[in-house]
Amino acid sequence: MELNGQLALTVLMGLFLVAVAAWLARVENWRSYTPLGSGGGGYGQESGYVSQEKPSGFIRWLTTVDHKDIGMLYGAFGVTAFLVGGAMVMLMRAELTVPEMTLISNQFYNSLMTSHGITMLFLFGTPIIAAFSNYFIPLVIGADDMAFPRINAIAFWLLPPAALLIWAGFFPVPDVIPAQTSWTMYTPLSAGVGQGNQANAGVDLMLLGLHLSGISATMGAINFIVTIFTERAEEVTWANLDIFSWTILTQSGLILFSFPLLGSALLMLLADRNLGTTFFAVDGGGPMLWQHLFWFFGHPEVYILVLPPMGLVSYILPRFSGRRLFGFKFVVYSTLAIGVLSFGVWAHHMFATGMDPRLRASFMAVSMAIAIPSAVKTFNWITTMWNGSIRLTAPMLFCIGFVSNFIVGGVTGVFLASIPVDLVLHDTYYVVGHFHYIVMGAIAFAGFAGLYYWYPIYTGRMYQRSLAKWHFWLWMIGSNVTFFAMILLGYGGMPRRYATYLPQFTDLHQVASIGAFIMTLGALIFLWNFVVSWYEGPVVRDGDPWDLKEDSLYTTEWEWFDRKLKTAVADGGEALPGGEESDAAEN
Amino acid sequence: MDENPGLSEQYRMASPWPLFVALGLPIAEIGILFDIPALSIGGLILFCGSVAGMVQEAGYARTPWRALAACAVLLFALGGLFFYADAQFGAEGIRFVARGWAIVVAGGVLLFGSVVGSLLVDEPEPV
Amino acid sequence: MAVKIFDRETILDLTVNIIPLFIIGFFLGLFLLYQAWGWDTLPSVLMIGLHVVPLVTLALLTYLSGKAIAGSEKTGDVFHQGQALVPGASEKEHGGAEAEPAIAEAGDEDEDEESGTEETRAAE
Repeated sequence: MELNGQLALTVLMGLFLVAVAAWLARVENWRSYTPLGSGGGGYGQESGYVSQEKPSGFIRWLTTVDHKDIGMLYGAFGVTAFLVGGAMVMLMRAELTVPEMTLISNQFYNSLMTSHGITMLFLFGTPIIAAFSNYFIPLVIGADDMAFPRINAIAFWLLPPAALLIWAGFFPVPDVIPAQTSWTMYTPLSAGVGQGNQANAGVDLMLLGLHLSGISATMGAINFIVTIFTERAEEVTWANLDIFSWTILTQSGLILFSFPLLGSALLMLLADRNLGTTFFAVDGGGPMLWQHLFWFFGHPEVYILVLPPMGLVSYILPRFSGRRLFGFKFVVYSTLAIGVLSFGVWAHHMFATGMDPRLRASFMAVSMAIAIPSAVKTFNWITTMWNGSIRLTAPMLFCIGFVSNFIVGGVTGVFLASIPVDLVLHDTYYVVGHFHYIVMGAIAFAGFAGLYYWYPIYTGRMYQRSLAKWHFWLWMIGSNVTFFAMILLGYGGMPRRYATYLPQFTDLHQVASIGAFIMTLGALIFLWNFVVSWYEGPVVRDGDPWDLKEDSLYTTEWEWFDRKLKTAVADGGEALPGGEESDAAEN
Repeated sequence: MDENPGLSEQYRMASPWPLFVALGLPIAEIGILFDIPALSIGGLILFCGSVAGMVQEAGYARTPWRALAACAVLLFALGGLFFYADAQFGAEGIRFVARGWAIVVAGGVLLFGSVVGSLLVDEPEPV
Repeated sequence: MAVKIFDRETILDLTVNIIPLFIIGFFLGLFLLYQAWGWDTLPSVLMIGLHVVPLVTLALLTYLSGKAIAGSEKTGDVFHQGQALVPGASEKEHGGAEAEPAIAEAGDEDEDEESGTEETRAAE
């Protein structure tokens, strides 16, 4: 039986390899191309249309190395992962409307919680940021493409297998159960020792998937660092580099130093689980080693996720305030400061582990210091809006929502950085509320601000503005209802990560669930608007749909878009009949 | 700025290799971790073959054969590490040797491909 | 590079990072002066290191980035964010003196060609 299985697998693998080789041979003969080394060639001829070189149809998306296409792929992947992670949490919130275990089992709740966290952080957060940075950074800094286009493609294509592995436990595979370790994967639970069921292969698959997503992020980071350092157009000096590129540069630096560490720690954990090593065993390196390694990655990860959204907001918010970003260089320097300091605060996640009080106090000091650069940015955004001519378009609303939620999330975070407060609130819903204000209320909001702001560029059409506003308000209300209820639950002493709770917490949990359902409604509206407008929205014929030129806030990517529109019309293509002229900024 | 005449016209906008590099790596990882030789060998061949193909396509090498040989050497070294681990810390029930053999076999296949390719294929066209 | 890079303007921009540096320095001084938990070699040295390493790296990065940004401000044209490649974009006030778009100044041939087409398009 066992042998037959191996044999079948070998035959399948062999057939697969032959099929791949055959397909590659076909694809490679398809096109003629100039190899990089040969030089010369079609220089100076204005053929313009890159898509002429790409294969058509589905194959195009599988083989593309164009930064814009890869950005689109990242975006599609990120939005999909967001919907999956959202569906997971809705099951959890439904379960939490009553104190007892009713709808789903406790084990399934734990699995959903683990996957929700990992999905949102690694499969939605990082990719949705990469979507914007891939698409727009080469345009904004005047590069032809990313420095390493193929590595860029590899980085993306590692993500779908990573997602499948992370979710593997949910698929109907015999003997494989989903991981229930929570996204922090604390040992000894995640090492699979003891009486629990976490020695299961599903956990190994999840760890492998996470490892892959780390490789993907690292490849992307190297690519961005090289691109921003070496591929900038001559006019784009360090002083002229836009804020989004600065945040991506800093983020890439953080990824470069932290993700390889996560990868190594994950391999150590896998070795502990499968190869009999004792890195995190009690009589080996000790379970605390995992926490240190994990959080030395994990805290920079927080800033890996939040810095680019800050950059997006700093980039988009001034466009609808009718003025320049106030204190541009403050924002740049404070971004760099956050980048450095984020590596000196990791143990503030571990105040309750009984570490030496001297070390604890040191981590508190640096954690307090890192609040300053974040606060500086907040003041910059507010000052930018102050007395500006504000236009409340959907992207602007999401930016303002970002600032508002970031303040709540940030201030609650400063309290947590203080040891005495943290010891009281540690492992309660207060922490959950705090970081959801940041990851959902701020990071996701900025992501959607970007999706709406650049919608005309990547679809060529305009979304339905009233629906976008419905989306915003449902989310703004929903997220504050949900996460503020969580903060109150935390004050009441409700511990995190439980599927059941004492009856005294019922009311607030129900409030939180109502907020979550409001957000679901908003997400459905978004999805409808996003898809329908892509096919039927009014065609944008002008390279300045937001009327940025009026305030001379017009930027390079719109200039590129404008030229693309004009070239397309001159070539006689893409002039779609039936779409109406869009005048986006009129609202 | 791809609407401008310039370097961008010479970049290839498509490459079939990245997808398979990204597919080979997880297959190989799963194979090695769970000690499934078919997956280890197949995944490593897919991964290294695609890397070699990509090296050639990107213009870093004229043929993929040397890159294949280099991959084979690296795989031999990795397999050797597994043998070493078994000799040093071999524990009951942990099959270091089987995993090592899978890696070495994959390296052998690649080396064979490299030798055959450089002897029999003389056109500089891709495989 | 006779221009002084760290002038008053630049120092003012850098205050944003000097404040966290000051906070870390303050706590370091406080913990050294008032040692609530006494002195033990390992934890105390680690404590100092946890302050000094971020302090030094942040100071270094602030210096380097300040040099890069202020340096290119002094030597080239300065545009508002995202506008360096927009034809006809206005410059920031304390940038270079010329009002001409920087694109036209780009050195090598293909850049010239590029700016040429851009300008004709902008003129349309």
